[in-house]
Amino acid sequence: MRPIVETIGRAACTLAAVFCVAGPVLAVAADPAGSARDNEKLLQLFVAAPYLDLRTGPGRGYPVTQVIARGESLDVIFRRTDYLKVRTTRGIEGWAAARDLQGALLADGSKFTLELGDRSGYQTHGWELGAFAGDFDGANLVSFYGARSVNDNLKVELSASQYLGEQRSGYMVEAGVTHVFAPEWRFSPFVTFGGGLFRVDKDAQRPNLVDRTDQSAYAGLGARFYLTRRFFLRGEYKERIVFTSRNDNEELKEWKVGLAFFF
Amino acid sequence: MESRSRVLLLTRPLAVAAVALVGLSGCASLKWPWWGRGETEAAEAAPTVVQSAEQAEAAEAAAAPPRVIEPEVERRTIKRNKIDTENFEVGPWYGVLSVEDFGTNPAYGIKAAYHITEDFFFEGNLGRTTLGKTSFELLNPGSDPLNLGDERRLTYYSLSFGYNFLPGEVFIGRNLAMNSAFYVLGGIGSVEFAGDNKFSVNFGAGYRVLPADWLTLHIDVQDRLFESDIFGTNKLTNNLEARIGVTAFF
Repeated sequence: MRPIVETIGRAACTLAAVFCVAGPVLAVAADPAGSARDNEKLLQLFVAAPYLDLRTGPGRGYPVTQVIARGESLDVIFRRTDYLKVRTTRGIEGWAAARDLQGALLADGSKFTLELGDRSGYQTHGWELGAFAGDFDGANLVSFYGARSVNDNLKVELSASQYLGEQRSGYMVEAGVTHVFAPEWRFSPFVTFGGGLFRVDKDAQRPNLVDRTDQSAYAGLGARFYLTRRFFLRGEYKERIVFTSRNDNEELKEWKVGLAFFF
Repeated sequence: MESRSRVLLLTRPLAVAAVALVGLSGCASLKWPWWGRGETEAAEAAPTVVQSAEQAEAAEAAAAPPRVIEPEVERRTIKRNKIDTENFEVGPWYGVLSVEDFGTNPAYGIKAAYHITEDFFFEGNLGRTTLGKTSFELLNPGSDPLNLGDERRLTYYSLSFGYNFLPGEVFIGRNLAMNSAFYVLGGIGSVEFAGDNKFSVNFGAGYRVLPADWLTLHIDVQDRLFESDIFGTNKLTNNLEARIGVTAFF
């Protein structure tokens, strides 16, 4: 039992040390990094609303510590989720909600608009990421995907999946194309096809499998459903052919449901 | 008579000179085809061009609808600087993982997270630990009933969704305030050990402190559940993990 107690004790000590010592040290050390941003060219905005709340952190739960009056100038330092870290001309820094700054004025007098996670973003966006759980020919399936939009309808996808079953387990890495029929619909169906590599780590029926990596191709259909903010549900069914080096090709069915988001 | 003719004679040269003067003076207005032709033509053509342009303008003005006054103000073109987004967070972690029947052992790994909204984040995790000895192995030194040999490495990954709650600030001393938040997370993944992969489900909670906007320190505790048949029967195992990590936003 001794090593366990020692390990936990050591972990607890490390934890205490990091939080009580490293925290403040890092905070002080990190300050120059913050002021180094001064040299960068920052976007300048003028508050157009009657006032603007600045919070201590990027979230509605953080307290409001500053209020900026209409017409005052702000430099936008960076963005995290839907909050912008800003600095006033007096050097006061704080977090403003992007929604509150929608309609602020730019230096040329035009209105500032910012992409926020909403229905229009669901229709038109650059990137998607998501994770799935499902069934792959009787095995559990864990899958992760990323997609780049060519346009509202067409997306190029890259996915990595692992199937974990009693009989067989392995993983797949595939690239494909997805066509969404009506991206403006909340519930929008799509078709997908592509191909990649199919790897078998364990196969109870063929314990002495020599060639464990094969090429695969798939075709499938599915649908996505917009939830809220940047989230949507995505479900799909795929038929996959694995071009094995044996005499027969394998046909495998897959379905999965997951949560995805766009940005 | 004589005197009259004398007068005539005397006056004739004057008259000739006068006639010659009058005649020669008119030469300037005559067009001489062999001299100065180009210059005179150009001088005459210029007024006609101006005239035709004026006419065309007048005709156009008559045809087009009356024009609204256009302010001759040029809008300043401002180069809009891009806003840097910092939603990704990556960093290493170190902790302990208790694997059922194999004791608690140090674990280490790397985590990457994407903050989707102020509330939700997506997290990917990769970890590794070395399995300890089972009770049987401890009671019978030198035995290896599972034939693990050196295959005592356990590697795992998980994909989780997390939710931030209780956001706030922590104060250290009088001058230092750091943002903080608690979070809960849950997801799915896989565990690989003893030559087999197992589907796993994980859930847990943690606490995050940000000494700077780009830097976080976090501690979290998660339970990783997976089915194990390493001892012959299939059973669901609970494997607790406690860890501390540092991540940087970019």
